[in-house]
Amino acid sequence: MKTLDSQAAAAAGAADSPWRADRRATAVEYYEKLDMPSPSEEVWRYVDLDFALDDYQITDASGDAHELGVGIAASLPQTAGSLLIVDGHVVDAESGSSGAVFGSLRGIMGDQPDLLAPYVGARIPADLDKFAAAHAAFGSDGAALVVPRGVVVEEPFFIDVQAATSGTVAFPHIALAAEESSQASVVVRYRSDDDIDALVVPQLELSVAANANLKVTVVQHWGRKTRSIGYANAVVGRDGNVHLGEAGVGALFSRLYLNVDLEGDGSSANIVGAYFGDESQTLDYRYFMHHAGLNTDSDMFLKGAVQDESLSVFTGMIRIDEGAQKTNAYQTNRNLILSDGASAQSVPNLEILANDVRCGHGSTMGPLDDEQRYYLMSRGLDELRSNRLLVHGFFNEALTKFPEPAIAEVVASWIDAKYRAAQEAGRVK
Amino acid sequence: MSVALQVSNVRAKYGDLEILTGVDIDVPFGEVHVLMGPNGSGKSTLCHVLMGKSEYEATGSALVGGTEVMGLPVDERARAGLFEAFQYPVEVPGVSLNDLIDEMGEVRNDAGFADRVADMADSLDMDRFLERSVNGDLSGGEKKRSEMFQLAVASPKVAILDEIDSGLDIDAVREVAGLVEQLRSPDLGVLIITHYSRILRYMKPDKIHVMVGGKVVRTGGPEIAAELEASGYVDLQNGDATVPAPEVATPFDV
Repeated sequence: MKTLDSQAAAAAGAADSPWRADRRATAVEYYEKLDMPSPSEEVWRYVDLDFALDDYQITDASGDAHELGVGIAASLPQTAGSLLIVDGHVVDAESGSSGAVFGSLRGIMGDQPDLLAPYVGARIPADLDKFAAAHAAFGSDGAALVVPRGVVVEEPFFIDVQAATSGTVAFPHIALAAEESSQASVVVRYRSDDDIDALVVPQLELSVAANANLKVTVVQHWGRKTRSIGYANAVVGRDGNVHLGEAGVGALFSRLYLNVDLEGDGSSANIVGAYFGDESQTLDYRYFMHHAGLNTDSDMFLKGAVQDESLSVFTGMIRIDEGAQKTNAYQTNRNLILSDGASAQSVPNLEILANDVRCGHGSTMGPLDDEQRYYLMSRGLDELRSNRLLVHGFFNEALTKFPEPAIAEVVASWIDAKYRAAQEAGRVK
Repeated sequence: MSVALQVSNVRAKYGDLEILTGVDIDVPFGEVHVLMGPNGSGKSTLCHVLMGKSEYEATGSALVGGTEVMGLPVDERARAGLFEAFQYPVEVPGVSLNDLIDEMGEVRNDAGFADRVADMADSLDMDRFLERSVNGDLSGGEKKRSEMFQLAVASPKVAILDEIDSGLDIDAVREVAGLVEQLRSPDLGVLIITHYSRILRYMKPDKIHVMVGGKVVRTGGPEIAAELEASGYVDLQNGDATVPAPEVATPFDV
């Protein structure tokens, strides 16, 4: 086990290509300089960090993991390749024969030292905050996908990220790049057992070139003692599309900071989310949609529910640059509050510098609808059953927009089970 | 013939406002009755009170196939055999009509349910609506048809159709009237609530009840409809009534 210091950074960088070593050296400096974020910063408002990075150590060897390919992967009929990351170490990889480069970050850097330079550590600034700095300084391995120009991969790639050792911090990095006119779909699953008290600081970097389509489904299913501070960035080129769905059902504390740069003219993004917090979970989403190109489209659509004493946060920002005319942008965040002790924050923001755009947002918050329940009960469904159907329907509107329907179905069943368990324990009606 | 719905001295208040002042109605099995009355006479309130909507304070007795339903939760009334087709059925986003029908089947111990669903989906041409959200993006006529479909598969003892003809054009009114006549059976009593007499041109009710001021003031045969069209509700309760509603259709889907 290693504490987070310059020795740990050197060990993490043992297999670095020169470009990554340079970025790492800078990040170590940021890490030493930066303080822990505080709720007085807008982007950390509403949440309380009751832990320190120093509470956790890096492990040299991965703990006992669940097998790759069980659980949610079983719902995917076929995969183009799969990879298992445990406690920050890649322990299993099947690269497949899709025509794309897919494998561990360190393995690919070893074979083709410069291939990943534009895609790894390129778009999420190491000085964004202390966690981002720690990721760039101490992160070692992860998964990378580069889909070459014109290659279309129909089956999804599957990346299973697990935390298996209490007391550890891991910095798995996932870099996904779709080169010009290529297409691919990737499913990322985060999980740990309920007794694993670990911290995970993952980063997901998406790069979508001209005319390319990249679909990414993230399923956050950490155990009840695991904390996660995640980052995601997507950059989209001319007429490219990124379609990202994130389902948040686990963790003690889970945060996702997402930035999307629609740089190319005609580029577009579909960002969808479904999250359900219970007990004392905190689910924290900070989404930024940046329209830079001409004629770009974005749709952010997130639905969340909280029960017991859980807290959810969504802050969304659409920024439209001065030259980004003919932008279409919309963000929707709808929240169900299922218990008196639960709370949700929903803060949509717009910053529009162009004058020929269509842009809007909608945000709602409240309990299940009485009129809808009355209607269902008039059909003979008792109150508990009616409420379950209403919760199912609420999330269905988001889950039907997810990139991989088979995964969305599994998530729907988990959410249904989570609500039903609370009903059976008498915590909600 | 035994009684499908027997309503005795039902009174209801909304806050301090007394809306129903003692309603008595009997609908025998096999019959179709119509309840008419001016705006504000309490017709829709009676529907909700019989179904058990919680915002009213209600007393009295309502027997559905001999079972007392007053005081029961809404869902138990439904399972006792009461079905209400709503005037404005609410949209339930994300819940498909198929999901709802599945749940209706699960809560009923009814061997014929699945067959009725298949038959009625076919005869009402419902297939294209089954995967859509309940009452979502449907025209007024389509919503009424969805209500009639659910009624048919639920196979209740008593069906109350609240303003089933409102917001419909004349072709849709004719269609709904035809569906009601199709549903007529020795195991069902139907009570149609309407503001207008026009649906009566397309169907043959056994009895008409006229409601004014929160109670039924007159019950008679179909000939009452013609009288009402001629003289309105004025003569029915000491001059304390309104003229009949003009025969003007409301906008298509309000």
